[in-house]
Amino acid sequence: MRLLIVEDNAELSRLVAAGLAAAGYESDIVGSAAEAREAVSSVNYAAMILDLGLPDGDGLSVLRELRRQMEPLPVLVLTARGGLQDRVTGLRSGADDYLAKPFAMEELVARLEAILRRPGQLLGRSLRLANLVYDTESRQIFVDDQPRIISARETSVLEILLRRQGRVVPKKNVEDHIFGLEGEVASNAVEVYVSRLRKQLTEHGAKVVIHTIRGVGYLMAEEK
Amino acid sequence: MAAGGIFARSPTFKSLIWRIVFMHIVAVAVVAIFLPLVLFWLLNSEVDQLHREGMRAQAEVLAERIVAAPDGLLTFNLPDSLRGLYSEAYGRYLYDIRDAEGRLLFSSRRKTGAAAAQAPPLPESISGAGVTRIIDGKVLRIRVAEDLSHRDVIIDDIISNFFRRVGWITIPILLILLAADIIIFRRALAPLWKASQEASNIGPARTDIRLPTQQIPREILPLVTAVNQALDRLEDGFRVQRQFTADAAHQLRTPLAILRTRIETLGDGAAREVLHADIEGMSRIVAQLLEIAELDTLVLDPGETADLRAVCAEVVAAIAPFAIAQHKDIALKGTDAPVLIHGNSEMLQRAIVNLAENAIKFTAKDTSVDIEVNDDGSVRVRDCGPGIAEAERDLIFQRFWRADRQRSDGAGLGLSIVRGVADDHAATVAVENLPGGGAEFTLRFRLAEKALSSPSPGGQGDRI
Repeated sequence: MRLLIVEDNAELSRLVAAGLAAAGYESDIVGSAAEAREAVSSVNYAAMILDLGLPDGDGLSVLRELRRQMEPLPVLVLTARGGLQDRVTGLRSGADDYLAKPFAMEELVARLEAILRRPGQLLGRSLRLANLVYDTESRQIFVDDQPRIISARETSVLEILLRRQGRVVPKKNVEDHIFGLEGEVASNAVEVYVSRLRKQLTEHGAKVVIHTIRGVGYLMAEEK
Repeated sequence: MAAGGIFARSPTFKSLIWRIVFMHIVAVAVVAIFLPLVLFWLLNSEVDQLHREGMRAQAEVLAERIVAAPDGLLTFNLPDSLRGLYSEAYGRYLYDIRDAEGRLLFSSRRKTGAAAAQAPPLPESISGAGVTRIIDGKVLRIRVAEDLSHRDVIIDDIISNFFRRVGWITIPILLILLAADIIIFRRALAPLWKASQEASNIGPARTDIRLPTQQIPREILPLVTAVNQALDRLEDGFRVQRQFTADAAHQLRTPLAILRTRIETLGDGAAREVLHADIEGMSRIVAQLLEIAELDTLVLDPGETADLRAVCAEVVAAIAPFAIAQHKDIALKGTDAPVLIHGNSEMLQRAIVNLAENAIKFTAKDTSVDIEVNDDGSVRVRDCGPGIAEAERDLIFQRFWRADRQRSDGAGLGLSIVRGVADDHAATVAVENLPGGGAEFTLRFRLAEKALSSPSPGGQGDRI
């Protein structure tokens, strides 16, 4: 799986490439919009990391062009512009995610993997956090590589929390994910499933913790 | 220049209208006093002139009546028709006829010759005219006089009443002029009033406004144009400064990203952790400088509304991972229903993020920061920290202000952003200490119209 880094600052692109290499991704580096167009047309990349400030034009115009050509290549926009309108414009122009400089390499990799893991994207089937692994296709759960059984609804909760690990998942999203359009849902149903999931994870020895963010939702993180 | 001096010293005439009106009153008053006097004098001299001409005509009539007899003796026959006029009983008209030596020959007074010379002097009020004739080789001077104290009553009336009548007329004229002055100048100054109202909207956030030049009087146009040009230069200055802040912040981001990524390649170690924290701090300052640069240029759409609760929920979700990493908690409290207020959700989010970050920074470990949204359009952010000293409560909202307790992290920009957003939204920020310790920041926004608001708080059961 190859990634394309479009960034005119040679030092930064080298460091990003090194960071991605450490996470197991190979990447090509180009420094201009023209080179980016050429690279995209000749190689089938898994995703593109696009800097908006390029010497020969706006990165957004490259992005818009790609989208006009119905090119589904996932794009993570990386920019020094973190401004009010910039993010909105970036996402509307077809960026899959947006990361403002300076960023943590860890976050770049996480966001990249998140967009690669989206339906139809290339990244594997399993979600991992600490010693917990979840196979999205078989819906199987492993703790320390040993398969464990967790009931169905709790597994749904686990999946959505794992997909967005380290970030808050609004309670409404959890509810929708478990029940879909199932009509009336008891107001405390989500609390009940989350608390059961916690108990089961602890029983199975998973080193993860589900934080309750009162009034908002839940956040799953590694136990520290 | 003397008048100018008076106005310069007089503090009561700050208004142009009243200054002009005052000068007008002075001018009209001067005219009102002098015009009747001049007219009175002119009328008087005209009457005198008429009188003298009348007397001269009389004298000529009398001269016709002097006849030289063949023996050289002069005789004077006053016709009967005139006799009454010159009678002493009537006492109004006098005549005398003298020769070249001044000897009195004939007179309306009976006595002639030496006796006449000893007659009592004529009263002061007597005035007249004379003609000189040469009759039979003798120079004669015929004088006719009238006692003015007996003059025609009508003429006297006109003259003596003239001043009073004409004088009074000047007062209503003065008042009408005054009213006319005020109306004229108000009309003339109306475009200036409009211009000054426009000007009152100009500030660092609105440097694009220019004074209207249509309808401005030509005399004042140069001033307005000069002010507009000065505003152009100021706007340029502001733009350059804002652009510089934004550019500087942008330009710092890439080197910071390089630095950060490079540090991450260092491998584990205490030094890496410390450097990481430093980079975090710098990145924050850079981001806040950008926010401030944007805030300074923001013009809110008056019709824009935002759901305060949704904004706060997003903020809590965004801050939660940092709070958890620091073994602190954050919670959203208050109403579960949307709270629609006037405002821009992105800007609101920035204000509340800064309040929440501030609260997380100061709240003690294993305590919680509460963000409470109320349906009256207020947000309260509570922490369990040391609270804020009374003396510092205004200072904390100033740019780059830092209490000692703020140590080395942060530049003291966060709360100034909160104040900036609040000002842009015509909202208020208040801070007070909680009885149980900790600080509470309250932001109060203007609720959007009820019609747009959500149904009653029915979804109460949606709590976590």
